[in-house]
Formats: sequence, structure tokens, C-alpha cells
Amino acid sequence: MGELMTETTPASGHTAALQAAGKKAKSLPEAVFAWMLVGPAMLFIAVIVAWPLAETIRLSFMEAGLGGEEYVGLANYQELAESRRFHQTIIRTFYWMFLSVALKLVLGLIGATLLNAAIPGRGLFRVLVMPPWIIPMAIGMIGWLWLYNGYFGVLSGTMMSLGITDKPFEFLAYKNSAFYSAVVADVWVGTPMVTLFFLAAMQGVSRDLYEAAWVDGAGRWYRFRRITIPQIMPVIVSMSLLSAIFTFNSFEIIWILTEGGPRGATTTLIVDTYKTAISNFKFGEGSARAVIIVILLGLFSLIYLNVLKYVNRKYGTR
Amino acid sequence: MATLSLNAISKSFGAAKVLHDISLAINDKEFVVFVGPSGCGKSTLLRIIAGLEEATEGSIVIGGEDVSTAPPVERGISMVFQSYALYPHLSVYENIAFPLRVQKMEKAEMDARVHRAADILQLTDKLHLKPGQLSGGQRQRVAIGRSIVRNPKVFLFDEPLSNLDAALRGDMRVELSQLHRSLDATMVYVTHDQIEAMTMADRIVVLNGGRVEQFGTPMELYHHPSTKFVASFIGQPNMNLVPAIVEGVDVTGVKVALSGGAKMVLPVDGSTVSTGDKVEVGIRPEHVRLGNSGLEISVNVLERLGGVSITYGTIAGDTRFCASLPGDAAIREGTSIILEVSPDACHVFDAAGDVLRRKSAPELVAWG
Repeated sequence: MGELMTETTPASGHTAALQAAGKKAKSLPEAVFAWMLVGPAMLFIAVIVAWPLAETIRLSFMEAGLGGEEYVGLANYQELAESRRFHQTIIRTFYWMFLSVALKLVLGLIGATLLNAAIPGRGLFRVLVMPPWIIPMAIGMIGWLWLYNGYFGVLSGTMMSLGITDKPFEFLAYKNSAFYSAVVADVWVGTPMVTLFFLAAMQGVSRDLYEAAWVDGAGRWYRFRRITIPQIMPVIVSMSLLSAIFTFNSFEIIWILTEGGPRGATTTLIVDTYKTAISNFKFGEGSARAVIIVILLGLFSLIYLNVLKYVNRKYGTR
Repeated sequence: MATLSLNAISKSFGAAKVLHDISLAINDKEFVVFVGPSGCGKSTLLRIIAGLEEATEGSIVIGGEDVSTAPPVERGISMVFQSYALYPHLSVYENIAFPLRVQKMEKAEMDARVHRAADILQLTDKLHLKPGQLSGGQRQRVAIGRSIVRNPKVFLFDEPLSNLDAALRGDMRVELSQLHRSLDATMVYVTHDQIEAMTMADRIVVLNGGRVEQFGTPMELYHHPSTKFVASFIGQPNMNLVPAIVEGVDVTGVKVALSGGAKMVLPVDGSTVSTGDKVEVGIRPEHVRLGNSGLEISVNVLERLGGVSITYGTIAGDTRFCASLPGDAAIREGTSIILEVSPDACHVFDAAGDVLRRKSAPELVAWG
């Protein structure tokens, strides 16, 4: 309460000044003014976040289709809890996420290190990293569709001319190759952002630290391990979380490449949700899946925030 | 511990030459300070000694060994950076132990060395903290601790006190001098602060525009500056430079007419000047006293510091002059005073800024 009092004092002084300046200020109490400032944003959030979320939760307790709605309690959740296919989808989704994020982080780290090195033409390379992120996802994915095409694609053609296969190989036609092909495309899209954030963090590390370590005899790898990594660790952790959420919810890449196939091999939770709710018009079951996604990501974020706290304690300045 | 020789060191960054043919011989256990204004090349020279920069020409010999092309760690040096360069994510202990961990030193030996350094620097109860939790002075000590544990042949300091406040700087000057005595080490110290240079150095290197202006003891630099630059850089407040015309040269010295009309015979070697030449007479603020005949100064600003009164004024309306007078001197701003100065205390610089050699030690005598 005391804090509140001290905080409002200067504001009251300000109001007093306004009152002195003109009568208009007098007619507008501070609280009303504050509500006017946050009101539009709150309305916006209510309409595009809160209401759909509430509606999704409501629908998840319904048997809902184009024909109408019927309350079914926890039946939708019950069904998912007992469905082996759904369990597999969850496992697949986490595998997809961990694999893709790990690759993005490793490639991002390597890329940022190279781009941070004092090499000629560094500026050009920094620009060249960006296209996967800049070009519209759909266009990029159509490019990958062609690359993965067995008859016209570069990859299959190269493999044939190298003698690795003797007939055209359709990357997206087999369960395993489709899954890993989708991972590669996802990594291609996601790596530039990770690289850029790591690069920015690396550039924030004082040159003096490296020079001091060099004077003390620390080699390149030692300096990277003992200075660069700890110094950018908070960024690595936050980027992992951000990247994990993006990857978990990555929809367009999979949808354009495989639509979740073949035989569900690339169906992650988000694709499954879409297929259920939008393709099959099972709004209730789809909503239950969406709620589960929210819960899973919420738990995941909670764990991550604790990791971040630990990292900040270990690698922070205090 | 070791000697340090710089032989004809030059350094260019692209077309810009920042160091010109610098040769210095620094003795074992000597505390040498590189001093000069910003951009004079002092830090670059230190970084060349450290091996962080490569000299364009010349060689560096430490302890009799040519280390010109050796990486920093093989030069037997350690360096304290202006920013301290402490690893923010590591504890004080780990910061100090860093060079020893790089060497993969045995745990017991490392522990002993870190604790010995912490003991010398009064950091023993801070070992578990991180640099962010320390004060500026303590961080400075951690940086010094990190350089001590390696037992280097030569310690290099790059403006280590410039981030500290004035009071702490004073304390750290004393501590560094004590540290030099207790470690008995060769130390090279870079600063732009002439007070640090004067108070700590065995010998001072004055750098200007990438050249050595003078290399000597603090008292040599003070009493026998070889150039106008050194004369005006060393001493606080700065030396006054009064324009003058040579009126005659003989065996006793050079007769000059100062701006403002005063005439003096100054006991300096006049072999390089002749009658009619323009020179500048250097007079230190502390080498004048109130008198009846001499320089007439109109006082503009008076700073009463207690023990002394720093008096700023002008001679003949345009030449600025500063005098350090007794604290209770009976003077007022807006009035004129007469200052007496001993010819022996005067320095004379020719048009190129080089000094005319002084013949005798300073002693106050009457005006001629």
C-alpha cells in the first residue's frame, strides 16, 4: 500500500499541473484515462484469444459437428486417453520437436560462430542466411516438394547418378523418409532465426574476455566452451523454448509436404487436430486435442522456465 | 622476473602509422609507466608487448628471449584490462583460477595459488561471489589476482584505474605500488593520468603521436623535460608557456624579452638559438611567488584550495598564466599581481618545441 502511495504521488502532482493548465484535464479522472489506454488492447485479446479459447474448451465437452452440439462430458478425453494412435501421435510430436529443435540449435550455433568470425565477406553471408526465413513458407515448401520429387527432384536424380539407388526415390512416399524429410524442411525454415539470435548474443560478448583468455593461454575451443557458451546460455535456453513451441505447432510445413501422411507418419498433434476438427468436422474431438496441446505446451513451458531460472543462476552475473 | 626490450617497434593500421620506431629498454623489476594523451599509441604498444597485436616492424625481447612472433601465453606476461575483463558467469575463485585451469594445473597447487593471491589482495572472503556482486575496486583486485597466479615475468596494466572514482583511484595507486614492491616484478602500466605516472613509476615513457617524447624518472621529466610537450604534460597544474623573443646569447645564458615586457637572463645553453628568434619560456605554477618586480598578471579566477591558491590570469591581456600561491595569499579576482620567478626555474623551448638545456638547478634569485 505504501508503495502505491509513493507511486501515485508524482502522478497526482502531474494531474495538479494539468488542472492548472486547463479545465479539460479536470474532467478526465486518471482511472478512466488508464482504462481508455488499455481498453482496446483488452478488447482485442478478448475477441481473438480469450473467447476462442473459452469456446474451444466448451466444445471439447461436446459431440459437435455440422449438424449440432450435444454435451458428452469427458467422453472426448476418455476416447483420446484410450486411443493408441493418439498416444503414438503425442510421442511422434515430441520426437519431431526434440529432433528438429536440436538440429536447429546445433546448426544455429555453428552458423552464428562462423558468421561471427572475422572472415572477409561476412556481411554478405549474414544476408545469405536469411532467405529460408524471409520467403513465404508455402513457396519454400513447394520448392522442397520438387526437391523431394522422385522423377523430377534434384535429390533423387543425384542419388541415381551417384549409384546410391537405381530407380527414382520418392522421399515423401515412405513413412521414415517422409518424416525425416519433413524434419529437414522444418530445420531449413527454423534455423535462420536461431542463428540470428545466437549471432546477436555472441556479438554482445565483450572482446576483452576473449583477449584475456587468449593471454592466459586458452585456445579457440576452450574459449568457445568456457566463454561463448556460458555467456550466450540464457539466449540458448530462451531460443530453445521459443523454437520448441514453434516446432510443436508447425503446421504448414507438414501440411504442404505430406498432409500428415503417408499413413500418419508425419501426423503431429497439430496436424491431427486440424484433420479431426476441420477435415472431418468433428469439432468436439478436435477441440479436446487442442486443449491437450495447450496443457502439454503449458507444462513444457513451466519446465523450461525453471530451467531458465537455473541457467540464470548458474551463468548469470549474480 | 625479467628485462623487457622493445627494438624499433613500428605499427601501422592500413595506411595509418600509429607507432614510429619505438625502442625502449626496461630493467628487471622496474615499474614503467606509458603515459600520453588519448590516441598517442600507448595502449597499442602495450598490446604489442602482450602479443594481442602484431608489430609491423621491430622486435620484442623478454628475459633475453625474442618473443616477437610468440603467442601471448608463451611470452611470460599477464595483463590487466581496463574493463577488468572478468568472466561474469564465474565466481571470483574461478576467475582467478582461470589461467591455471587452462594449464590443467593440479587441484591442490591451484587452490594454494588462488588462496595466496586472494590473501594478498584481501579477497579471501569474496571467493564465492560473482564479479557482479563486487565493487569496482574489488573487481579490479580480482583482475590483478588473475594476473598474479600465473607468476608472469612481466605484468601489463592497461589503464586499470580509469573506471574507478577519484578516492578509490588514490587508494589503488598505493596498493599497486605496494604490490609492485612485494612481488618484485617487472611492470608496464599504461595511463593517461600523469598523477598515476608520477606517483607509481620508476621511469615514465611519455608518448605523443606514436613517438617516444622522453623516457626517464619522474623527477627527470619534471625538472628536465626534453620537449615542450613533456613539460606541459607532466606537472599539475600545467606548466605556463610564455612567448618570448631572444635578445642576446652569451656564456651565461640566453637573454629574453617576455610577452608583457619583462626581461630575463635564463641560464640555458643557447647554442641553437640566435638573437631575434621566437622562443617560449616555461614556468611552473609552483615556481613563482608574489613579489615587487617581475611578471604582471591580471587575476581572472582564484581557486582557494586551503593550502594553496591556484590563480588563473593573463599576462599582457592575452597569454594565459597560472600560479600556485600560498593558501592565504592576499589577492583578489579582478586585480593585478606581480609574480617573481627565478631564472633557474625557467625552461626555454625553441620554435620546434625542443628544450634548451638548463645549466643549473632551480634557485630563487632577484630579477635582472
